[in-house]
Amino acid sequence: MTTAACFIIASRNDIPIYEAEVGSAAKREDAAQLPQFILQAALDIVQDLARTTSAMILKTIDKFNDLVVSVHVTDDHILNISKPIHFLHFIIHARFMLLHDSRSDDGIKSFFQEVHELYIKSLLNPLYLPGSRITSSHFDTKVSALARKYL
Amino acid sequence: MEPDVSIETSCMIRIAVLPIGKVPPPLLRDYHSMLLPHHTIPLSTISSFYTEHQKSPFAHQPWDTGSLQFKFLLGGSPPSPWEDFQPYRKFLSVIGICHCPSSPDLDHVIDQFNAACKIYTSALVLRCFAFCPGDSQLDDGKKRENLVLFPPADRTMQEFHLHTMMQDIAASLLMEFEKWVLQAESSGTLLKTPLDSQATLSSEEVIKAKKRRLARAQKTIGDYCLLAGSPVDANAHYTTALELARLTADYFWYAGALEGSVCAILVDQIGQKDTGVEDEVRYRYNNVITHYRKSFIQDNVQRVSPITFELEATLKLARFLCRRKLIKEVVELLTNAADGAKSLIDANDRLIVYVEIARLFGTLGYQRKAAFFSRQVAQLYLQQENRFAATSAMQVLGMTTKAYRVQSRASIAKHSISNETEPGHADSGKLHHLLVVSLFESQWSTLHMVVLREILLSAVRAGDPLAAWSAAARLLRSYYPLITPAGQNGLASALKSAAERLPSGTRCADPALPFIRYMYLLIVNHEETVDSHFLNTPVCKKVDIIFYECRVYSFPLHPSQMDIVKRNPAREDWWAGSAPSGPFIYTPFSKGEPTKNGKQDLVWIVGEPVQVFVELANPCGFDLKVDNIYLSVQSGNFDAFPLSVDLPTNSSEVIMLSGIPTSVGRVEIPGCTVHCFGVITEHLFRDVHNLLLGAAQGLVLSDPFRCCGSPRLKNVSVPNISVIPPLPLLVSHVVGGDGAIVLYEGEIRDVWINLANAGTTAVEQAHISLSGKNQDSVISIGYEKLKSALPLKPGAEVTIPLTLKAWQLGLGESDTAAGKGASGSIGRTVKDGCCPSLLVHYAGSFGDARDLEKNKTSVPPGRRLIVPLQICVLQGLSFVKARLLSMEIPAYVGKGPSNPANVDGNPSNKAVGYGSKIERLVKIDPFRGSWGLRFLELEMSNPTDMVFEVSVSVLEKPSNEDNVSVDYAAEYGYPKTRIDREYFSRVLIPLEHFKLPFLDDSFFSKDLQLDESTSGKNSSLSERNTKSELNASIKSLVSRIKVRWQSGQNSCGELNITDAIRVALQSSIMDILLPDPLTFSFRLARNVSKNAANLDSPKESSINIQPSMSNSSVIEHDMTPMEVLVRNNTKETIKMNLSVTCRDVAGQNCVEGTKATVLWAGVLSGITIEVPPLEESKHSFFLYFLVPGEYTMVAAAVIDDANDVLRARAKCESPDEPIFCRGPPFHVRVIGTA
Repeated sequence: MTTAACFIIASRNDIPIYEAEVGSAAKREDAAQLPQFILQAALDIVQDLARTTSAMILKTIDKFNDLVVSVHVTDDHILNISKPIHFLHFIIHARFMLLHDSRSDDGIKSFFQEVHELYIKSLLNPLYLPGSRITSSHFDTKVSALARKYL
Repeated sequence: MEPDVSIETSCMIRIAVLPIGKVPPPLLRDYHSMLLPHHTIPLSTISSFYTEHQKSPFAHQPWDTGSLQFKFLLGGSPPSPWEDFQPYRKFLSVIGICHCPSSPDLDHVIDQFNAACKIYTSALVLRCFAFCPGDSQLDDGKKRENLVLFPPADRTMQEFHLHTMMQDIAASLLMEFEKWVLQAESSGTLLKTPLDSQATLSSEEVIKAKKRRLARAQKTIGDYCLLAGSPVDANAHYTTALELARLTADYFWYAGALEGSVCAILVDQIGQKDTGVEDEVRYRYNNVITHYRKSFIQDNVQRVSPITFELEATLKLARFLCRRKLIKEVVELLTNAADGAKSLIDANDRLIVYVEIARLFGTLGYQRKAAFFSRQVAQLYLQQENRFAATSAMQVLGMTTKAYRVQSRASIAKHSISNETEPGHADSGKLHHLLVVSLFESQWSTLHMVVLREILLSAVRAGDPLAAWSAAARLLRSYYPLITPAGQNGLASALKSAAERLPSGTRCADPALPFIRYMYLLIVNHEETVDSHFLNTPVCKKVDIIFYECRVYSFPLHPSQMDIVKRNPAREDWWAGSAPSGPFIYTPFSKGEPTKNGKQDLVWIVGEPVQVFVELANPCGFDLKVDNIYLSVQSGNFDAFPLSVDLPTNSSEVIMLSGIPTSVGRVEIPGCTVHCFGVITEHLFRDVHNLLLGAAQGLVLSDPFRCCGSPRLKNVSVPNISVIPPLPLLVSHVVGGDGAIVLYEGEIRDVWINLANAGTTAVEQAHISLSGKNQDSVISIGYEKLKSALPLKPGAEVTIPLTLKAWQLGLGESDTAAGKGASGSIGRTVKDGCCPSLLVHYAGSFGDARDLEKNKTSVPPGRRLIVPLQICVLQGLSFVKARLLSMEIPAYVGKGPSNPANVDGNPSNKAVGYGSKIERLVKIDPFRGSWGLRFLELEMSNPTDMVFEVSVSVLEKPSNEDNVSVDYAAEYGYPKTRIDREYFSRVLIPLEHFKLPFLDDSFFSKDLQLDESTSGKNSSLSERNTKSELNASIKSLVSRIKVRWQSGQNSCGELNITDAIRVALQSSIMDILLPDPLTFSFRLARNVSKNAANLDSPKESSINIQPSMSNSSVIEHDMTPMEVLVRNNTKETIKMNLSVTCRDVAGQNCVEGTKATVLWAGVLSGITIEVPPLEESKHSFFLYFLVPGEYTMVAAAVIDDANDVLRARAKCESPDEPIFCRGPPFHVRVIGTA
């Protein structure tokens, strides 16, 4: 099992709608917010990359010290089932950003896929306002379980 | 490592710029900035200074296009150990800057300069520039080496001189380079780097080093060629060097030569960056990086490492490629650089790498990345425990605030605020939304807080209290919900301690607490005038309380309304049609989307205090003391009064800020100026407005007002306010105290209202009108008094009389009033909204007549003063019961009424007898022919604690038929009825007969309908008609009867008896109102010629009754001729069967029977007569009385073929029932002859 530091789902406006500390990264008091800072800064790169590539999983797009950022970009055309597309576009365009300190590509890929499923499920919840913070504790426990399983 | 490196750095000649002697820092900067433009000296311009001593080694020197590049380093720096490797690191020249006025001794200057140059051993050219020399210094003809005096001249001239001197330096340097290269080519030099082993060289290594020497020399010569501006020569040497270095596996120098060659390519191809060159550069630099990495030697990793060169090369390449198109490549390079930075030994090197990375990311437009690395830089600075590092950290963090959205207002102000205020509220919506998101984006709040905290920390360390204050204020204001109360307290104390180190009166662009929200803006401050719309909202309850407090404690407010009314000069009633501009932003009267544009115009008046309500909120866990708060007005024509407020933990408070407009124009109130935590800050309403907007959309952490328990309110924006010249101002008070006027029901009282002009201009026009409920309670207003007092000068006053009559209390009101009276408390509460108000519209002069013609809108507006009449009506006498008392007194046949004075409608006889009082009350019933007494008996109770005295007066009215137009009143001397407190009493009111002149068809048709369809739909209609008839009669009756009461010394009033009469008459409307169909009367036939019928039909009422005693007496044993008169009161002929009876005092029929005492001749019964409509017919007969005494004669008739009208009148149940009419009894007194 690798030690991952931080997992964030950022919405279209680059606003984090879900944050979780996964894995067992050693935490230092002075750098408690470092993972968030790294992920926030990495959004600049994700923004450009997501525009140019069609790949969903962007591996190791950024790194700082020993921490590596991997990103899963949800695609716009995945879920145009029942709702108007532009609306969907606004809703589901999210970035799953994982900050981890070593590479186990398969595990990360599976992790992203499973979290994506979870995310879509929570999107389908009529009480969830797209773009707002995900506060479901169920989601939280599921993500932690997935993190334990794959990372 | 060095900051700010690029590929071209290799061709720059480094020059140290040193201050010599005392040079004031601003001047030093100024002189340095004069040097800076001369960083490039074209070779073509230095030819005049250049002399070729030997053959130049730079064979391909481009004299036409080439140039020398200078890099000026102010203050210089210690020499680098890598100078041999890269000659551009050497300081090849030193320029001293001397400010002559501060260092008069030039010799001393030279000494100082020489001493300063000592450490720059590599310097080839030394110059000391002395600016602004005095005359003595100029005249001093002594020639000093390297000292250049710049004669005082203007700046252009000096720059020209400087340019010349720089060309001289360039030429000298070029010659020195040539010398050096020639020397190096011939003799060769030993070139070393720290990488080379310092230990004693083994023999093998010595051989190796010798081999390498040539390569290194070639490389260095190439470097000098580059510095001399000859890239072609440089390239040639580099090619050789590369060959040699590769052979000797001197990777480090190989990489250096490669770097130089790239620079040579770029210098050679200056201005033409095609893709070929770019690819070449990229290829070669990647090579450079690889070779620097190869040169890594494990041995001396602790001491020195080529990694800095690798990173430098990476950054150079990144800088070269730094374009949007190649962003991916650059990002990769920068990421690698950042990765490499962690293996750097020197923290300073790492700092430089991060600075460079941040700069390059910033250039790429990756603001967040740039901010991230800036923050890393700041952290490195913070690790150095000194003040200057902390200042640097603070400055670097200051640069990140934009990316982290925690900017100081001061830095935003420069760019955005100015153009942001322009669009106003018209294009809100999206703009607002974005603004809100950008200003209050809560989502990365933890990061924002960390950054702000670091700024605070660095500012504290750097000893910058203002920056510390600003950071703490931003932290507290934006992120208070995420900070624990303890943390909030810590911030508060940080604010305080920062403020202690600041001079008092310091201003800061970033507001701290409290949150201030604009509420309402009132020109008026009176409870009654607060619009009911506002009173319904909970806040206004609060406002009300504030009103009260203000009134009691701080402000002597005018208890009057000062509405401004637009004046229409074309109309006499200029106030009509213009709704008062009013004190309210929202009025229910202007329902047409009052908030559509969000703003309404307000008018303030010069010199009159105004009040603005704002709500303050302190959502934090400490008590907030606002030392001073006042409206901040940018237009400068407003004097604001400061206020100090204490806000406890988690509380909000509505306060009233006031001020006085001082001059005509517009007033802008963007917010409040607050003096809190020792610093003056500007709190803009707009910010809180946006914050609340964000809170409503769920974008912001929390609404500070709601978490303080303040109700959610619609956001109001500050209206447009304009100030107009002074207007008159009327202030009113009721003479005798402004308390409620206490009146009993129906009480009439005079009240005086005093109007004073408290303004500074005269009142020229004034008009009084009434508004509100119970307007009819104001009986008269002294308009004339007001009119005659105009113009009312400033300070003048006028007293206007009013006559009030208290209205009747409603059912519920009287109950409560009675209840209050019973419980002993004084029921003097003025009920809201039931009192009338006086509206005084007044205005000053019209102003200049010419202005008026030009521009109608320039008419100064008028104003409206509302004087609420606070009338408190107490319950007075109350009716218990009312009923009609009537009594019939039979008339005497042949005799006039005992007192004819009271015959209705006969004024001439009034004066005849003024007998007993009771007789005057007896009145003849014209339809029955009998006399009667009629009273309205009112039973009244007195629930009050006062004694009432009731007096009745009747206004006698001559009947209309007489056409006597003279009204006159007769005061009956009725004794006053006294009603003690809590007693009941009865008052008798004499009533007159009131009947319709005849049994009207139309009336009966109504009545018929009533009968025919007893429960039909028309019944209500006919009932209504009947009622209206009754009401009309009652009205005419009541108008003549005045029932006055008096209580105590000064309370008097009138009872409203209309209702009482109505109640009394309700049961027998028809009998009272409608005449009988037939009227019977008797008379003696012998004096018929003289004594006309005493029937007093309306048509015949002019006939006077002339009593004649001689003819009218009836004597026993005498044949008495008599007539019975039957009058038809209907409009149709009536056929009837008439009969007459005579009874004695015992009631026995004395005409018929065996013991008849009256003999008769003629027909007494079964007489068939037909009476035409509205006429009368008579039937004569004779009576012979045997016994003297009193007899009663009664006529009765059975109507044949009665029509429906008669049936209805008689209230027949079946159509077959005979209709029987009976007249009133007539008395006959038979006088005995014996």
